[in-house]
Amino acid sequence: MRIITHTCPACGTVVAANELERNRVMKCPGLGCQEVLRFEDLSEDAREHFREHWDRYQI
Amino acid sequence: MKGVLLSGGTGSRLRPITHTGPKQLVPVANKPVLEYAIEDLKEAGITEIGVILGNKGRDEIQELLGDGSKYGVDITYIVQGNPLGLAHAAGCARDFVGDDDFVMYLGDNILKSGVTDLVESFEAGDYGAGIALQEVEDPQAFGIADVDDEGNVTQLIEKPDDPPTNLALIGMYVFSPAVFDAIEGLKPSWRGELEITDAIQDLLEDGYEIDSHVVTGWWKDTGKPEDILEANRLVLEDRELKTSGVVEDGAETDGRIELAETAVIEDGAVVRGPVSIAENTTIKRGTYVGPYTSVGANSTLEDIHIENSVVIGDSEITANGRIVDSLLGRGANVGSAKELLPEGRRLVVGENSQLKL
Ligand SMILES: [Zn+2]
Repeated sequence: MRIITHTCPACGTVVAANELERNRVMKCPGLGCQEVLRFEDLSEDAREHFREHWDRYQI
Repeated sequence: MKGVLLSGGTGSRLRPITHTGPKQLVPVANKPVLEYAIEDLKEAGITEIGVILGNKGRDEIQELLGDGSKYGVDITYIVQGNPLGLAHAAGCARDFVGDDDFVMYLGDNILKSGVTDLVESFEAGDYGAGIALQEVEDPQAFGIADVDDEGNVTQLIEKPDDPPTNLALIGMYVFSPAVFDAIEGLKPSWRGELEITDAIQDLLEDGYEIDSHVVTGWWKDTGKPEDILEANRLVLEDRELKTSGVVEDGAETDGRIELAETAVIEDGAVVRGPVSIAENTTIKRGTYVGPYTSVGANSTLEDIHIENSVVIGDSEITANGRIVDSLLGRGANVGSAKELLPEGRRLVVGENSQLKL
């Protein structure tokens, strides 16, 4: 299973794509970091993959 | 070598304690379980640590560990979110790990001997992975490894009916970056998770050698209240305990006692070690604190007889009675009902609490 992550450019916290997908737009979960992370920050390819296999990333 | 420390999970077996925080922060001998793991990694020379966060307790864990500098390590946080399995957690660490080898450590595990031997054994050969094993009495209940004479793993079997060995996998692994391709190739198991044992099995089938290291000292998964009490017992038994606080004249003490600088054992109290008493805690006259008890910070104990128990902290325990084999959450108070009518116990008990009266 492909595991997609995104790294916050401000604090370096790594966020799994399933988190981004669930929230679409979210404040970075890094403590005290004000950066806003978006599902759209992922590459087109990653987003496409994620939409196609959405169910695998749920539990 | 890097470290990947898993700190997710719901902690459901430790309710109500985990209603207010993650299980990895429950203290054992007055230190959060997770700090033992950080220290073990540091001792093995691993200073770059990725801490995997689940859906619970993200802020509390970050508040405790910070950037890692207070432990002499450098921490990167990795938010896994949904609990999609250990192999998914490892896969989320791919960018962090890069081309390095890494130790994967379950943050609610605590073990006597640390991870140094496991790491050294892995580094002594050319392995795809290394796993820590421990002999168990009921191998049917565990993931079991079969190993050859050199200690190389030949097979992994989940809860076998006819176990080839009694060597169970414990939550401690070393991986080469080859594991990431194995993880990419995995499909979720029947329980919807990416299983780390499947990834190891795939490495084996791809021709990688898998090292094993048998852990001989104690190892504890602290998932349940009785495990916390046992881990507390084991750590107090092993650890050097230093009395820095005040023991008043007329207090009766024996055995090894860890007493924080601002803690007091008053005249007329009895404390028998091994015991750990944290900052700003007072053991008052008429109290007995028996072996294998840890009392957290900012607490007062009076009249009570307590032994083999963990008091997390911020508690007032002033009843005249006996408390044994107990785990008391933060801010839990136990007073006396002696003068109150009608006679009887008075309880305000949180969800999922367990009492034996
Ligand atoms: Zn951030």
